[in-house]
Formats: sequence, structure tokens, C-alpha cells
Amino acid sequence: MNFREALLTSLSNISAHKLRSALTMLGIVFGVGAVIAMLSIGAGAEQEALQTISRLGLHNVVVRAKELKEDEAREIRTKSLGVSMRDCEAIREAVPGVEIVAPKADVDPWQVIAAGASADAQVYGVAAEHAGLVDLNVAEGRFLDQRDVLDHAQVAVIGENVRRSLFGHGAALGQPMKVNDVWLEVIGVLDGGAGGEPDSFQGVAISSAADAIYLPVSTVMRKFDREALDSPLSEIIVRLEEAESGRRTAAAIQGLLTHLHGGADDYELVVPEALLAESQRTQRMFNIVMGCIAGISLLVGGIGIMNIMLASVLERTREIGVRRAVGAKRKDILFQFIVESFALSALGGLAGILMGVAIARAVAASAGWTTLVTPWSIALATGVAMTVGLASGIYPAKRASELDPIESLRYE
Amino acid sequence: MALIELKGIERTYHVGGTDVHALAGVDLEIEKGAYVAIMGASGSGKSTLMNILGCLDSPSRGSYVLGGEGVHGLTDDALATVRNRQIGFVFQSFNLLPRVDAVNNTALPLLYAGVTRSERRRRAVAALQRVGLGERLDHQPNELSGGQRQRLAIARALINEPSILLADEPTGNLDSVTSKEIMEIFDELSRAGTTVILVTHETDIADHARRRIRLLDGKIIADES
Repeated sequence: MNFREALLTSLSNISAHKLRSALTMLGIVFGVGAVIAMLSIGAGAEQEALQTISRLGLHNVVVRAKELKEDEAREIRTKSLGVSMRDCEAIREAVPGVEIVAPKADVDPWQVIAAGASADAQVYGVAAEHAGLVDLNVAEGRFLDQRDVLDHAQVAVIGENVRRSLFGHGAALGQPMKVNDVWLEVIGVLDGGAGGEPDSFQGVAISSAADAIYLPVSTVMRKFDREALDSPLSEIIVRLEEAESGRRTAAAIQGLLTHLHGGADDYELVVPEALLAESQRTQRMFNIVMGCIAGISLLVGGIGIMNIMLASVLERTREIGVRRAVGAKRKDILFQFIVESFALSALGGLAGILMGVAIARAVAASAGWTTLVTPWSIALATGVAMTVGLASGIYPAKRASELDPIESLRYE
Repeated sequence: MALIELKGIERTYHVGGTDVHALAGVDLEIEKGAYVAIMGASGSGKSTLMNILGCLDSPSRGSYVLGGEGVHGLTDDALATVRNRQIGFVFQSFNLLPRVDAVNNTALPLLYAGVTRSERRRRAVAALQRVGLGERLDHQPNELSGGQRQRLAIARALINEPSILLADEPTGNLDSVTSKEIMEIFDELSRAGTTVILVTHETDIADHARRRIRLLDGKIIADES
């Protein structure tokens, strides 16, 4: 008897006992559904983490000034003036494997106005390289260049939301605007999608570019007031050379800055690469734990199939006797029952895939999480389900094939 | 040469530490085209003899030559093949597959002979027409009367054109009218040249056969034609 014949026989047997078959499959359905749903939630979370982290620039290391309480600051500023251009120079000079060192300074904006309109915005002073470091795309005009920085030019590149607040549908390029007491000329508008929503990842704030205004860092440092105790720069973004490891460079920068800051703890190092590794580790844990739970469910499903197959062998003893009498060999009987168990779990697996995808969709819709059904999660769940089906079919099938035809024909 | 040659057939069962001799030395020859009834009371060994003739069981001792080939001591798989090619069974309790239509029940032996689906169907339909079930092709056993079920079983037994048609109490579950109809089919098959062996304890059934073999305590005590 070939596979096709055995499969047809199995399917007609399965459809002859619809309720029983459905109940038998339930374990596999839930097992496979759970595996796929959980892996899709995991994969979605991982993708989201990756996107968030890559906004920091995966090949960057960021030195960030710490927020200090006033008395703390007073104490620390006696030893260290904070994150400054001097740190920038030092990193550029002394740390190997560094491609770009870009300072960033924050402005505390108390007014942002143009043509009678005002906007809420974050205002940053940045280097010309900044756009490339954190993937900002310019929709109109241009980004800041080296000349702007050298000349302390009073120019600004604004985010999409800022543009809308200040200029509505009118032209923005070349228009004057004012941040605090400083007049600026708009030279560029950023792409609407740039940077996404403001976010934080594992406690590290990640800013959105849509509400941002970028000025040359030199302009910010010269023209804008800042609190005496604040760090001159808020961040130094360090782009590593292609082959360089984030962690090693971070260690070198750490060493250098400890020295420069007289041991003061007024900055922190953010290594996106390390954050990503951390997130992936968490993800792996999640997958393992969920995988175990789903695995147990599949195991229980398998035991269910074995149970029903054993009952089915008993119930169909006479049928087995008849088949043997008309010429079925032991291996034909073995094959038939294994194929039947396989078909049960394969059908269950199929239903489970549909259920898993449905759960993933439902979770995405109701909780607003990103879910991602990956082909390999389907392959994995289906593979496991089929293995379970085969494995749980072997023993009952063996029992069936070892029945004595004479006894079976007499069985009541 | 006879179709069936049994020589010194013994069959011993071990039951609870003692040996039970179900067959104690049976010698028997049956010619091709014969119409034989094997008779005996329950416990006489007629079922055991039928199982051995039908290659469902192997003798403990002795030789069984079927169609010129020794089938005693064959492996389980080889016996399955012999059953598939040479023997058609008809049982007292029909032994049809439930929830399977008449065509597929009839075609079951062909499934294990590796015959294609369309050919199986063609031959099953022909066999069913031969036993008068041409109108019941798609019926399942539970939709058929007792007599129709036994006709279906006969169609299944015939489909491989077996050397022997072995019928074990074929009318045991049927009323007298239906029994007569079924026996007419066997008579007809015998006239057409099929070798028919009936196992029965009813004399009026056995009277259809041209040769009657009587068993007692595992031995042949009478063989009359």
C-alpha cells in the first residue's frame, strides 16, 4: 500500500469520526498555535528593539552628559567641567578606530517663533556630520555643513512638525525664525518619517527628529545662554570604523574620559551594540521559556494522539483482522496507522498555524504590539507537530501490526 | 496433482501449560474445482483446519502444498501474499469494513495487491454485479440487509480470482430464505469452476457440496462424496 492510498484511508477514517478527530487534534492545534503566536510576538519585539536601537546608530558610541542635582553638580564641577569640546578633541586624537566625533549641545528653548506662529520643539546644536550619524533625511533644502559650523552661522534645519507649526503650508526655506533671542534662517526641512516618535529603550532616551530644530553646534555654544553648572555639550556621538568593536572603543573612551573628568561621574556611555546584545539576550530567554511551554503543550497533544490511536487500534481490531486476512502485511498495517496519526497531527498543525497567525494578528490589533510571523517559526512548529504525530503513532501502530489475524477476526 | 495437499497436519496450542491438539494428523487432498464441506461439532478442529487451509495459521507439523507450492513454514509476509492471491474468505459475521462503501469494501484485497484505483473500481463493480449488488455500489454495510452484506463479502472474496473460496459458516447469521439465496450463489460459483470449501455444522448446508469431510477431535472421521 503506498502513501497516497494510506493517506486516503486515513482521511476517510478521520472524517468518519469528526468529533473524536477534532478533539484529538486540539492539543496539537493549541501547541502549534502557541508556538507561532509566541514566536511572532518575540520576533516583533525584537524587530522593534532593533529599529529603536538603530536610531542611535548601531555603529556609534554615545557619550552623554548626566543630569545632575544642583548640589551634586556644584561638587562635581570643581573637578570637571562636564562633557565638552575638549573631550571631543581628545577622543578624536587619542582613541583608535574612530571615524567621526560629533558634538551635540542642547538648547533650553523658551520661545520658538516665526511669522507670528510659535512651536514646541527640542533645539540641538550639532555638527555637520550629525545627519549621517543618526540617519536624518532632508526633504527640502540642505542639512548643516562644515562652513555653517565654522562660521557660527545663524541657520536652522527643522523637523516636519516644527515646520507645520511655524509655517503651515507656506514655504519654510529661507524664512527667518527665532529661537529664544537668536534669529535664524531656515535652510532645511527634515523628512516627515525621520527618526519616528520620541522613545526610550531600556532607560536610554532616544529623541525624535520631527519635533527637533538643528543648529550648528558652534552657534549654540556662542549665541545661547546655558546654566553655569550644565555640561557644555549634551552628547558626543562617536562613529566607529567598520571593523571596530563598540565595546572596546567604549572602554578606551571610558579610560580617557575618567582621566579628563578627574574621575567625576558626570557622563555615561551608551553603546547601542551592547544594548542590542542585551535585548537579544532577553529575547532569547523569552523564546526559550515560551518555547518550553509550547513544547509541553505539543507533548500533551502527542500523548492525546497516542491515546486515541491506541483506543482506535482496539476498536478496529476486527478491521485489522479483515485487512490481514485479505492480504495486508504487518508493515501495511503499521504504515496505515502511522500515516493516520501523522495525518491527524498534520491537520492539527495546519489548524494551529491558522490559529497562531490569528492570535498574532489579534495581539497586534488589541495590544498594539508589533508581531511578526516568520516562516521559520511556521516550519519549526509544523516540524515539531509532525514529529510528535509520527512518534506518538509508532507505538499504537506497532501494536496494531502485531495483532494475530485469527484472534482479531474473532474479536468482539 | 491436487490443488490442495495436506499431509500429516498437526496443530498444537499451548493453553495454561498443557498442549491441546486441535488437529492431530490430517491428510487431505482437494482437487481444483471441488465443492467441499468440512463438518464437525464445535471443538472438532474444523476452524483450525480452515485457518490452516486459508493460510491464516501455520501447522505445527506436517506439510501443506497449495497449487504445487509448499506453504507450511512460510513467513508471515509470504503467507499474507498467498492469502491475497489465492484465497477468498467469507465469514459468518461478514467482516466488512464499517463506513466504507460496497465498491471499496469489495476492492480491499486489490489494495494490497497494488492494483491501481481505477482498475480496482472496475473489477469491484464487476464482482458486485456478479453477486447481484450492481445497484448497491455506493451503499455502506449498515445500509444493507444481512443477505446483501454476505453477497458483498462474497464479491470481496472473488475479486482476486482466488484458487479457493473459503466460507466459514456463511449462513450462520442469516434466516432460512436468505441462506438459500446465498447457497445458490456458492452453487453457481462452483458450477462456474471455483473451488469452494464450506465450513459448517449444518447438514443441509453441507448437502450443497459434492464432497463432505467430517472431523472429530482433530481427525478426519469420514470423507464421502
